Amino acid sequence: MNLERVTFGFFILLALTLNFVFVVGDIDNYRHHSVWILTIAILVNLIATGLKLGDRTQVGALLLAASLVADLLLISARIVWIVTNPEGGPGPSAEDMVTIVSLGIGALVANIVSAVILIGDTLMSRR
Amino acid sequence: MAASELDRVTMVVLRYMRRPFFALVLVYAIGIIGMALIPGRDADGNVEYMSLFHAFYFFTYTATTTGFGEIPGAFTDEQRLWAIFCLYTGVIAWFYAIGSTIRLLQNPHFTHVLNERNFASTVKRISEPFFIICGFGDTGSLLARGLSDHNFAGVVVDADPERIKALALRDYTVKMPGLCADASVPQYLVDAGVTHPNCRAVVVLNSDEDTNLQIAVMAKYLNPDIRVVCRSTSLRHEEHLRELKGVTVIDPFEIFGQLLSMAITTPKLHNLNSWLVRAHGVKLGQALQVPKGDWILCGYGRMGQWFRKYMANHGIYPSIIDPNVDLNEHIGSEMIIQAYADRKTLQEAGIEEVAGVVAGTDNDSNNLGILLNTEALNQKAFTIVRQNNHDNQIVFDAANVDLVLQSSLTTARRILKFLISPLIQTLIDYLNDQDQRLTDDLIQRLQNTVGDQIPHLWRVNLCKREAAAATELLNDGIPATLLDLTRNPLDRQRTLDCVPLMMQREGECIMLPSDWQRIQLGDEIVYCGTERSEQLLLATLNNPYTLKFLVSGIDPPRGYFFNWLDQRLNRSKSAAAVES
Repeated sequence: MNLERVTFGFFILLALTLNFVFVVGDIDNYRHHSVWILTIAILVNLIATGLKLGDRTQVGALLLAASLVADLLLISARIVWIVTNPEGGPGPSAEDMVTIVSLGIGALVANIVSAVILIGDTLMSRR
Repeated sequence: MAASELDRVTMVVLRYMRRPFFALVLVYAIGIIGMALIPGRDADGNVEYMSLFHAFYFFTYTATTTGFGEIPGAFTDEQRLWAIFCLYTGVIAWFYAIGSTIRLLQNPHFTHVLNERNFASTVKRISEPFFIICGFGDTGSLLARGLSDHNFAGVVVDADPERIKALALRDYTVKMPGLCADASVPQYLVDAGVTHPNCRAVVVLNSDEDTNLQIAVMAKYLNPDIRVVCRSTSLRHEEHLRELKGVTVIDPFEIFGQLLSMAITTPKLHNLNSWLVRAHGVKLGQALQVPKGDWILCGYGRMGQWFRKYMANHGIYPSIIDPNVDLNEHIGSEMIIQAYADRKTLQEAGIEEVAGVVAGTDNDSNNLGILLNTEALNQKAFTIVRQNNHDNQIVFDAANVDLVLQSSLTTARRILKFLISPLIQTLIDYLNDQDQRLTDDLIQRLQNTVGDQIPHLWRVNLCKREAAAATELLNDGIPATLLDLTRNPLDRQRTLDCVPLMMQREGECIMLPSDWQRIQLGDEIVYCGTERSEQLLLATLNNPYTLKFLVSGIDPPRGYFFNWLDQRLNRSKSAAAVES
């Protein structure tokens, strides 16, 4: 067991699960989606991206790319939330909520790709 | 070059199509003008002329026998009369034109020019290294098959159209365009890509020695840097060829002699060599045991003379049976019988007592006859037979022979070895000069790694393009050995299924380098192993983390953050060590 690999895997899987936690629920109902979870998911995603920086293998490059995609989509979702629900409003309308959650689902796909690559690479090396 | 080719094609097309084209234009012109001039009537009975466009439209569907009917209105009788004329002349003109086109397509000159053009443009588009094969007989086709098996493209030129047709039916995995032409014409050599930057070598295998010499010389003139491999069995031509720089002469009979010599003196090396060239049915470690003693050599032509020469080097003086041998020619102390090798003459030569028989005439049925007699008279004799015709393979496979030497096959293998891995022959020659134990060790290692699988040879250059991670490692000054490279990424204690055969460093060649040999930038290493091990090795050489793990046994940290953390931890650890 390698502490480095544990940390690395932890953040990647946490990013994936938090993303899922945010996305799950009715797509147009803001009460099913927590803006707090979205913000934490963005934070964890950014940390995961940071850990991936500097890996010089092909797999490392792919992991980084997937992570950047997830960041981009989640941050976009957060921006849409801010724009459509300024200061203390009741929450975004159903149409806006659909956009936000769709972006979240896009990020989820990128995170799934990331996790699959990580698992595949680990299984391949079998050390 | 392409422009002139295009001009030739255009010229032939123009010459053939000029008359039918004019005939069509004329018939169309007459028909259309006539139709436009003949008065028609509209529905109300007023005189109305057909416009030129409508006349053209009418003529087009009439002449091509489509026949939409009378458009735009019903015709008058005068118009119908003219329509009949139009129909017949138009159809005849079209038949004439189509017939001419078909004749043009069947014209052998035209097809040849077209083939040549297609061939030249196909060759020009080849983006990987390729070899030109002039002469697609037995040897040529075996060589093409060998190149295809090693994923090398080839270009074939042969004057015999049947052979080029046969080429088109082969299932090569690589590009193998063929042209039916006389390769001694320089234009065709250029078409075949002799000046192409990716052309690695020209292999000349025609049956005519003069043509071969001509092609070799011409190829050298067209591209002085090109390597030329030329088959030759005539001393006169060989002398000419050896004068040329970069020309390798392959004499099948001499190769036979060498192989036989190797089989007699160093059977294990012979076994290793046959295994490396993937000879059919050869298993590593099962060497032939060629007995010394009295031998009979049937057939004393060019090959027989080489045989005798090499056998004499090992103190074997065979009795010679050949109908054309010159009795006055003093060869040695051996018995010479000037006759065909039948039962009687074989008995005369003492077949019952001999250790071995070489059936080396240039006639397969004679050779098979000698084999039958030998089997009947002396079952214990070691038999070596020369197979002349590749088509007789099945018979020779069925015959109970110890060693079959086939001219086309041995030549093709030797050329292939020379083209793809020229260093292997150097290795074989080196092993031949060294102690027998070295060969035994190598065979043992290869048996342990490759075993019963097909041997695969490849070459690795420790440069940035082929081995990025290794280059980086060496630039950082981290020492690594050959063993480190071939460690198995799944289990560091084991190695991949491959053996480094030799190493080239700054022009010098290190044969069978030891596992502890340090590697340097720019080293070239030739490996023998399995295809899978090549992939794994290449992956290792390009993955800095795997390589570092293999060299040090420690998984290096990945990414900037973990790198930083690792360095910090190390620093605090060493600081703690200093304090205590």
